[in-house]
Amino acid sequence: MTINATLTTCPYCGTGCNFYLLADNGQLTGVAPAADHPVSRGQLCVKGWNAHAFVDHPARLTQPLIRRGGEFQPAAWDDALDLVHSRLSRLAAQHGPDSLMFFSSAKVSNEENYLLMKLARAGYGTNNIDHCARLCHASTVTGLAETLGSGAMTNSLSCFDVTELILVIGSNTTEQHPLIGSRILQAVERGARLIVADGRRIRLAQHADLHLRGTNGSDVALLCGMARVILDEGLEDRAFIESRCENFDAFRTSLAAFDLQRVAALTGLGEEEIRAAARLYAGAERAMIVYAMGITQHSHGVDNVRAVSNLALLTGNLGRPGTGINPLRGQNNVQGACDMGALPNVYTGYQKVEDSLIRRKFSAAWGTRLPEIPGMMATHAIEAAAQGKIKGMLILGENPMLSEANQGLVKRALEKLEFLAVIDIFPTETAQLATLVLPAACYAERDGSYTSTERRVQRGRQAVAPPGEARTDWQILCALLQRCGLAADYADPAAIMDEIATLTPSYGGISYARLEGDSVQWPCPDAGHPGTPILHRAQCTRGKGRFSPLSYRPSVELPDASYPLLLNTGRSYFHWHTGSMTRRSHLLEREEHEVQLEIHPEDALALKINPRQMVQVRSRRGCISARALLTERVPRGQVFLPFHFAEGAANALTNNVLDPEAGIPEFKVCAVRVTPC
Amino acid sequence: MLKTLDLPALRQLLCAIAAEFELRVPVQPAPGMRLLAPWPVAEIALFGPPLQPKPTAAFFPQTQTLLTLGADASVELPSPPVRPLALFGLARADLQGIAFLDRFFSAPPADDVYQRLRRDALLIGLSGNCGTERKFLPLAGGHCDFELIAQGTGWWGRAHTPRGAHWLRELPAAEGADLTWLNEKSAQLIDEPQQLLARAAKLLVQERVPEEFWREIAARCILCCGCNQVCPTCNCFCVEDQLRGTNVERRRVWDSCQLDAFMREASGHNPLGTEALRTRRRIFHKLVADPQRWGEYGCVACGRCDAACPTGIGIFALCEQLVARYS
Repeated sequence: MTINATLTTCPYCGTGCNFYLLADNGQLTGVAPAADHPVSRGQLCVKGWNAHAFVDHPARLTQPLIRRGGEFQPAAWDDALDLVHSRLSRLAAQHGPDSLMFFSSAKVSNEENYLLMKLARAGYGTNNIDHCARLCHASTVTGLAETLGSGAMTNSLSCFDVTELILVIGSNTTEQHPLIGSRILQAVERGARLIVADGRRIRLAQHADLHLRGTNGSDVALLCGMARVILDEGLEDRAFIESRCENFDAFRTSLAAFDLQRVAALTGLGEEEIRAAARLYAGAERAMIVYAMGITQHSHGVDNVRAVSNLALLTGNLGRPGTGINPLRGQNNVQGACDMGALPNVYTGYQKVEDSLIRRKFSAAWGTRLPEIPGMMATHAIEAAAQGKIKGMLILGENPMLSEANQGLVKRALEKLEFLAVIDIFPTETAQLATLVLPAACYAERDGSYTSTERRVQRGRQAVAPPGEARTDWQILCALLQRCGLAADYADPAAIMDEIATLTPSYGGISYARLEGDSVQWPCPDAGHPGTPILHRAQCTRGKGRFSPLSYRPSVELPDASYPLLLNTGRSYFHWHTGSMTRRSHLLEREEHEVQLEIHPEDALALKINPRQMVQVRSRRGCISARALLTERVPRGQVFLPFHFAEGAANALTNNVLDPEAGIPEFKVCAVRVTPC
Repeated sequence: MLKTLDLPALRQLLCAIAAEFELRVPVQPAPGMRLLAPWPVAEIALFGPPLQPKPTAAFFPQTQTLLTLGADASVELPSPPVRPLALFGLARADLQGIAFLDRFFSAPPADDVYQRLRRDALLIGLSGNCGTERKFLPLAGGHCDFELIAQGTGWWGRAHTPRGAHWLRELPAAEGADLTWLNEKSAQLIDEPQQLLARAAKLLVQERVPEEFWREIAARCILCCGCNQVCPTCNCFCVEDQLRGTNVERRRVWDSCQLDAFMREASGHNPLGTEALRTRRRIFHKLVADPQRWGEYGCVACGRCDAACPTGIGIFALCEQLVARYS
């Protein structure tokens, strides 16, 4: 009998908890939280406690599969890899490299994201690479890069221990980042004030000094209204604005349109509530804003982010402990996937592909010419595939069939592709549509590094062997890079990180030797640098913090007579995204095994819907069945669906209208009709 | 009779035990983390924080195969360990937890999967100056084959079973060793948390804790289930069947009474349908029902749930609030 305990990083949310995977005779038996870790501190959420459960599930992919005559047939690795390369190369030759699209994954390591980014750009000559940050924090990356110069969370999780006030807007933190949510609860216990802006009565709302239950999609109005009150009442930080910011006058002028009467009408809130929130926020010496998908997943997501940024700049809540703009990253490595340049417009460290000097640097390092024009966003690529413009795709560890908006469109797009290769750990709904599927090692079966929401780079470590013939993603990607004629003889992920460090200023001081000790928060430009817990200290990354004048744009598809309810979508506590891992984790699936529609009891009564009755939910794009959960958690007029369930896919209903700058879909607002089955 | 050991003698003793048992000893892979690892190890963590995972997991792990059903209706049970387990480094609370599970899993119908690992296992307690930064931990006083009491630079060996005496037989006697003072010190340490639990239990029995209290606690519970996961006396599990090829593998998985589906019926009805009800039931179970059934609390005062709870409502914190408000 051999027992071991392997310290690794949790594969679920972006909080960055560490735990020990416990194995007995090569099989995982459980999890123990890392007591000394600065984030987990000996604690985990229910998904973390069950993070071992799916690893040896019998549905794991164990051998390469090639579709022949409509059926998947097992194939040898070399044949499968040769086929991927030959089909992608042929499509690139026939239709140009930009007929290809590469989906990377916020679930794989930094090194693996780097390699796929390299494969797309250097191997196949296209910048068409993106990943699911497009669906979560694209608005943040665009918005905060513009206003501050960096799209990352400005502060650290330890700041919750010293802050005076927390404004949580569009984040169900105790359910989606539970260990961060618990820090907020502990901050409240020690006396910090809490404002929650969320249409749903989330757990945090029970502890809030103020719960603003505004209409979904009205955040720009709320935030600008608060800014207006702050200025009208002289509560702004004049010194900070003058010394650290620019474009203030234009911003102030733009607030003329946000008088409280109009803001109250747009948000559905009382004027006094908005005034009270503004006074509370501006009155704190140290205030943090925490936000997530409630801000970003809108057709005006970037404007929402700009509005958040305005509020922090206006009150000088930046660059100090206990302050900041704190977008909580959803996936355990969505920060890292962005950092690694799995985005269409940047290489690692947000170095722009359009910059000829940068391009020359990467070109010299990789020994090949590189494409100059930024590539296609994932959401645009789905549309382009449906139009026949994208011909071939390689999807690594993502499941757009359930995660992208408007499933009908996604299905048409993927089915229209001439070639679709999927690398994954389970036969997902997306893999079912593939020409070829490659079996990958999961987080517990590979070494790598991951970057959490607070920019903390830390190690994942292999605890058990991959099942069957499954290989790590980095090994698969190296094999493809070599088929493209590129050097890819890395001995291990540590060697890949060494290459990343030489090309990426913000990761310049990061190496596996260093990560063996404490983790480190980027920017970390050299080996002697201590890392950066708080950004924008003396000045913003871009120099001056930039105020953004804004105007209010309503959500695109609001309820009407035909579709009278507003559908809000998101995650539940017990499941993770498209459910490929949590729905195969017994305790989590036992807890929540079917899709439930949250509906207000009065709406249910009017629609003659009984508790737990099956209902049809129909939008202009699709129709699903769900079980009605009558709850005052949602306000009247709004219903909520989690998007984890293939058999009741919320994204069959959602609207794929996109933010014009960030390309993020409006997951948080569309119109539906609910009828009893 | 007390025996005495120094570090070489301890290593020698453990080597001898390892020849007959699957020996696991504490190691410290990182500061603040102490776990049981298979012998041999480079360095034994002879003092430090409580073991994680809880030592009861050696016999009742978080995930455990119960049996495999073949397509031909055959039933295959997991093979018994080649050699019985020996666990070294168990604190008094750990041993009490194991004793609690022993009693639970041997009550009819006896749990053969637990017994298969537990039968013949050798339990070695560790007490005295062996806590965090060598803080004193109470003497085990039983529930193990023998215990080693850390004092000064070595240990006193104290047998609690004939098997324990057998393993200590060749060690020299600890001349002049006297446990009187250590016993008194232990009694004080044991008594303090017991008093708190007793006061809380009394208030619960007297029904002096209003619903409002449980609602407040439940509002702070983020349903991590960590309290159940780390509790040495928690023994609830659910059963999972997985189809592997033509076989069905049946496993059990630690459950949590904080979860809605723990008591939810197939109809959707749930007699414990709110977090407040479930929290109240968990604490009642440990402080009222367990003493009625087993004669002792379902809390061994190990402190693990207080450390594992992200929002500060482990059983001590909860009982302190309860006693402060309703006494």
